[in-house]
Amino acid sequence: MREAIAAPTPGLDFRVHYGHHQSPAIRAGGLIFCSGMLPIDPQTGERQHGTLTSEAHCIFRNLKLLLEAAGSSLDRLVQVHALIYDSIEYDVLNRVYRRYVANGPPARTVWTAQSEAGFKIQLDVVAAA
Amino acid sequence: MSLERTVLAPPPGLDAAVALGQPASTLVRGGAFLFVSGLVAVDPATGKRAPGTTASETRLILTNLGRMLEAAGSSMDKVVKVNVLLASMLEAVPMNDVYATFFPDPPPARTVCAARLPDGYRVMIECTALA
Repeated sequence: MREAIAAPTPGLDFRVHYGHHQSPAIRAGGLIFCSGMLPIDPQTGERQHGTLTSEAHCIFRNLKLLLEAAGSSLDRLVQVHALIYDSIEYDVLNRVYRRYVANGPPARTVWTAQSEAGFKIQLDVVAAA
Repeated sequence: MSLERTVLAPPPGLDAAVALGQPASTLVRGGAFLFVSGLVAVDPATGKRAPGTTASETRLILTNLGRMLEAAGSSMDKVVKVNVLLASMLEAVPMNDVYATFFPDPPPARTVCAARLPDGYRVMIECTALA
């Protein structure tokens, strides 16, 4: 059984705003698989370029909306892949990241990669349903 | 309680472990899920590398993926998550155009990023599906 999770707000539907052939998240086998999360205005879908810190805040706010709409939450994250544009910002990532995963943080891997539209960070996550 | 873990043999020609000499299984079932290794464009008839454009590599990889999943008892409409690695994010649009023709509605969750890929490939795709 595989169920697509609809975007919790109009801005978070990447298919509508950017033509990406993807569902915001899929629930299957007791897990929720989210599409790569990017800093997007949750109402308008506009890109919110900024510093790695501001982009990460925006992503976590959006992730909270998406996971809660799917009946999960940030506390139920299982695994996170953090793709950042430059490993020199690793400590910057950790400072903002810590605020959102206070209790028993999920497994995590961080690496450098290029994300769309020059964003500085993208989070690829799996949560418990 | 431990869950079942099974290494599944992909159809001949699509077994990267054999064709490219990698210490990896192409498909592994764990519990309810089927985990597929990062796939690159390989000619299913010969098992040889078939690098090309982002569009041609995407088409070949997803064609091969569909065959592999079906041989393993799964299918493209049971895919839950796809990770697409591109040589350049400038080629995300041609990838997405081809990609959209392979997955039914609603499509799987997906993450796209650019990374340095081996052997001059433009595209690598890994996925998780329901078994």
